[in-house]
Amino acid sequence: MGTRRVDRETVAEIQDFLYREALALDERRFRDWLDLLTDDMTYEVPVRVTREGLAEWELSPTARIFDDTKETLEIRIRRLESDFAWSEQPPSRTRHYVTNVVVDPTDKDDEYLVSSNVFIYRSRGDDPEPSLYSVARKDTVRRVNGEWKLARRWAAIDQSMINAHNLSVFL
Amino acid sequence: MSPRVLEAGTEEYLRKVREGIRQGRFPVRAFNDQEIYDLEQERLFSRAWCFLAHESEIPAPGDYVLRYIGNNSIIVARDEHGVVHANLNMCRHRGNQMCKAEMGNASHFRCSYHGWVYKNSGELVGVPYMKEGYEGRLDRKDWSLVRVRTDTYGGLIFGCLDPQAPSLADYLGDFTFYLDFYLKQSEDGVEVYGPPDHWIADTNWKICAENFAGDGYHTPVAHQWGFHLGYFPSSGATHSQGWAVSFPGKGHAIGLGHSPNFPPFGGFPDELIEQMKRVFTPAQVEVFSKVRTAVATLFPNLSFLMQPLSFVPGEPGVRFVTMRLYHPAGPGQMKMYSWCLVPKSAPEDYKAAAYKAYTLAFGQAGTFEQDDFENWIKVTQMAKSTMVRDLDFPYIMGMNSQRDPDFPGPGHVVRPYVNDTNFRNLWSRWADYLVGEV
Repeated sequence: MGTRRVDRETVAEIQDFLYREALALDERRFRDWLDLLTDDMTYEVPVRVTREGLAEWELSPTARIFDDTKETLEIRIRRLESDFAWSEQPPSRTRHYVTNVVVDPTDKDDEYLVSSNVFIYRSRGDDPEPSLYSVARKDTVRRVNGEWKLARRWAAIDQSMINAHNLSVFL
Repeated sequence: MSPRVLEAGTEEYLRKVREGIRQGRFPVRAFNDQEIYDLEQERLFSRAWCFLAHESEIPAPGDYVLRYIGNNSIIVARDEHGVVHANLNMCRHRGNQMCKAEMGNASHFRCSYHGWVYKNSGELVGVPYMKEGYEGRLDRKDWSLVRVRTDTYGGLIFGCLDPQAPSLADYLGDFTFYLDFYLKQSEDGVEVYGPPDHWIADTNWKICAENFAGDGYHTPVAHQWGFHLGYFPSSGATHSQGWAVSFPGKGHAIGLGHSPNFPPFGGFPDELIEQMKRVFTPAQVEVFSKVRTAVATLFPNLSFLMQPLSFVPGEPGVRFVTMRLYHPAGPGQMKMYSWCLVPKSAPEDYKAAAYKAYTLAFGQAGTFEQDDFENWIKVTQMAKSTMVRDLDFPYIMGMNSQRDPDFPGPGHVVRPYVNDTNFRNLWSRWADYLVGEV
């Protein structure tokens, strides 16, 4: 990594893909979002633990807030489509602000490692206090039959003691 | 009607609340009230045995975690001989917080203010300028970290701030019969899958403690999506079946949900079932084999849940265990800690599947957890309404339930699963502590 540069057109395409993916989430088009995932997609949000500076890890190697595949993400979405997803009634209003996109090549021609910062604003009902999630993402995107798909999402929240009563939204 | 705290005087109010619980009512305001919160800090969390950590969180010498009892930050550490110690996380010299990481490994802790150094057991071993400054007047052994009494059961480490309190064994009583379901699922016991999810929620710990003391009543509604789409192997028609088990005078309780068509030990791999049959007593096997959901609160604020969740509609699914701590952080706020416990000697693929089922259902992004917290924060908001300051909730379900004489497990066992008996017992014990009669 780092020796091979990714051409500008590819970077621009991948950025555009991430923006469109965020738009699908913010517009609550969850089926459209699911279509942007590869069938072998994994979706991980590690548990963060406050550690000393020299500790081996701060993001748990085993514990996950989300430990999902496309199959379990579809279960979550089927729930959101039911009349009984109480945590999303009324629905969250989310805005994903995606910045600092860095695209690196992998050893596969059609796959790229994409780092990005994401700031998510979530407002619900008439509560004036939004939930704010500052997130570092390391995604894998893959070109499948000429279309970009998300093959892995790895998203780490900056807070260890998370100041939100739930994570009923996608990062 | 409950009298107002200030009008009636605190002690009289609490005695009337306690009497009301026996008659099947409990005050709304208890779920969000500064005065009650303060009393809980003084009279409950400073006297009860409170959960600190699971031994598998600190397996090696030097391992430590930071936890709380009431408003006290506690270092729970394993010393070089493997012995677990719990000490207040405060330097005895000028009160600085000693340890700022929530987990790690250290033989010693050094204060960042004036440099006093303590062993991880709490013993003071280093004082800068000892000779020049203190001139022999400071005896190190008088200034160790403030020690917390500890004891363990089945890998659970508890602390108690009251030196006069009875032993942990006495505190738990025969509730251990049911705790074993969560703690001894394999020949080598259980371990945490990793550090807990932790988050802040604007709710009161008691709402969660009650729910997990056996609220089978909420499940078909609060978690209706799971029934509706077939991922949770129960049905509205049979969901009331099962038992409610409480321990009078202790506060602990467990709800045991039964599904007629759910296979015995469903959701566990065969080799784990064989291990459990060797580990558990015949009475435990008899009880456990009939249980689909086991949901328990160890008084006051530690809970456990074992239930299946399926990734394919209509199938029995995978059984997982979660342990949760509701750490009060104000009358309407708490810090939630949620662990997944897995059997140590289970096949790795089962552990991974159980963890996946746990995260899909529980933890901060869990689909069942999300819906619970949605309800609980609203209950907490409503409980502050001026209109409800003198109102009670009904706790009269199962008021006349007779004890099931044939049940093979200990405790006060009633049917059906859908029952308030466990909650009356939980709040009676809570009131005993607040009144000061324990």
